[in-house]
Amino acid sequence: MELSFIIIDDTELDHFIARKMITNANNAYKVQSFLDASQALDYIMADEHEAGIKVILVFLDIYMPLMNGFEFVEEFEKLDKAIQDKYYIVALTSSIEISDLNRIRSYTAVKEKITKPLMAEDVRTLINRIAARFNLKLN
Amino acid sequence: MAEKIKILYLDDEMDNLTGFKATLRLDYQVFTAVNIPGAMEHLEKHPDIRVIFSDQRMPGKTGVEFFESIRSTHPLPMRILITAYTDIDSVIDSINRGNIFRFVKKPWVEAEIISAIEEANKFYQANSMLAIKNEELQRAYSELDKFAYSVSHDIRGPLSGILGAINVARDMHDLAEMKEMLFLMEKSLKKLDTYILSMHDYYSLQRGELHIGDIDFKKMIDEFKDIYKVFSNTANIDFKVNINQREPFRSDTIPLKLILNNLLSNAFKYQNKNTDAKMVELNIEVHKGVATIQVADSGIGILGNHLGEIFNLFYRASSQEAGSGFGLYNVKSALLKLNGQIEVNSVLNKGTTFKVTIPTK
Repeated sequence: MELSFIIIDDTELDHFIARKMITNANNAYKVQSFLDASQALDYIMADEHEAGIKVILVFLDIYMPLMNGFEFVEEFEKLDKAIQDKYYIVALTSSIEISDLNRIRSYTAVKEKITKPLMAEDVRTLINRIAARFNLKLN
Repeated sequence: MAEKIKILYLDDEMDNLTGFKATLRLDYQVFTAVNIPGAMEHLEKHPDIRVIFSDQRMPGKTGVEFFESIRSTHPLPMRILITAYTDIDSVIDSINRGNIFRFVKKPWVEAEIISAIEEANKFYQANSMLAIKNEELQRAYSELDKFAYSVSHDIRGPLSGILGAINVARDMHDLAEMKEMLFLMEKSLKKLDTYILSMHDYYSLQRGELHIGDIDFKKMIDEFKDIYKVFSNTANIDFKVNINQREPFRSDTIPLKLILNNLLSNAFKYQNKNTDAKMVELNIEVHKGVATIQVADSGIGILGNHLGEIFNLFYRASSQEAGSGFGLYNVKSALLKLNGQIEVNSVLNKGTTFKVTIPTK
């Protein structure tokens, strides 16, 4: 398996849903959950993941207490380029605020944006798109 | 009877001042000064002086120059110029530079002075009311902005979670898994419900009137002790209550309960999972007309740099999803209504103590 996942969200239900949709797409995917963005950042900085993983897809909630999604991305963009390149960040937000949406777009590390609710179809097409783009073997 | 209106009269001739004061002191609180430093001293000491009279011809500065010099430092008092000379240039000058409300011609007559004061006072009141309303409006606007922002997240968040869950349920066949998801859905909906209830608290605190009555703290705590007993038993948290009230205390039950409930539920909610001896302690002491309420917990604590912000609307200092960002803001609003104070002491991973003091009404 060359693709794995990180979910950063302060709501347990949203973790459950995203994880379920990912494992429905393929039961073998590895999914890491973080309720607290700063812990996710620590994990990413440690740069320890299974051998063979080429891309890590990050579902990032924006509106979180303490470290929010914007702050997370700002810290993330300070990391080594070699680390950053392994991650594909997708902002996942319930926000309908234009200012939020524009701000999300302004970060180069954020590749895509999905407005909640997350749908199974979104996850499947996203995985297929990434697999094609990075030439990943998904089995 | 309403307090007398404060007025100030500046004139370099002592006789004028004495006559003025003698005529008006029964109806108004009159301050007089023979020179500008004297006038300034009154203005500093009594920022609520509403009307200033000044003679135009004085050694050093003219009355217009004096008014011009205090325009930015004391914009509120109404300015009235007393002068014997009324050529058009000096009139233009005094209006444009001194921002004069009225002229009184020398020698003045009592009726004219009184009517000038009354008219000036009406303007003063309208202006100050406008300033107060303006400030309230600004605050309301900024809170409305916060609300609009919060609605998009705090209401839409749980709803989109439920919608996502329904979507996922279509591919779900395992009953245990379904139940786990239903549990999380319930949690999200409860959070949304809490949000709406707190929003109602918010509104009633902003708009509601006070209903003062006798407070028996022991009775009050007994009422909701049972709710916290449940928390205490299921989460294994030692709940201690000490109430020491030997004198009557008068206040409004609703904001008082809101304060206690918010502080207690926070104390139970933000417990440290890694601590064995979990505890919440409530101390209430009524002494010399002041109730001191302390809520201490052995919880996760609050980082020093968040302490200043925890009373802000929608601020959340923990990534635990239980918070709505209303609780402590509502506590602060409730205390504002009861003229109370709050202090917080917190050590990260050790616990937090809130100390509230409320005077009797």
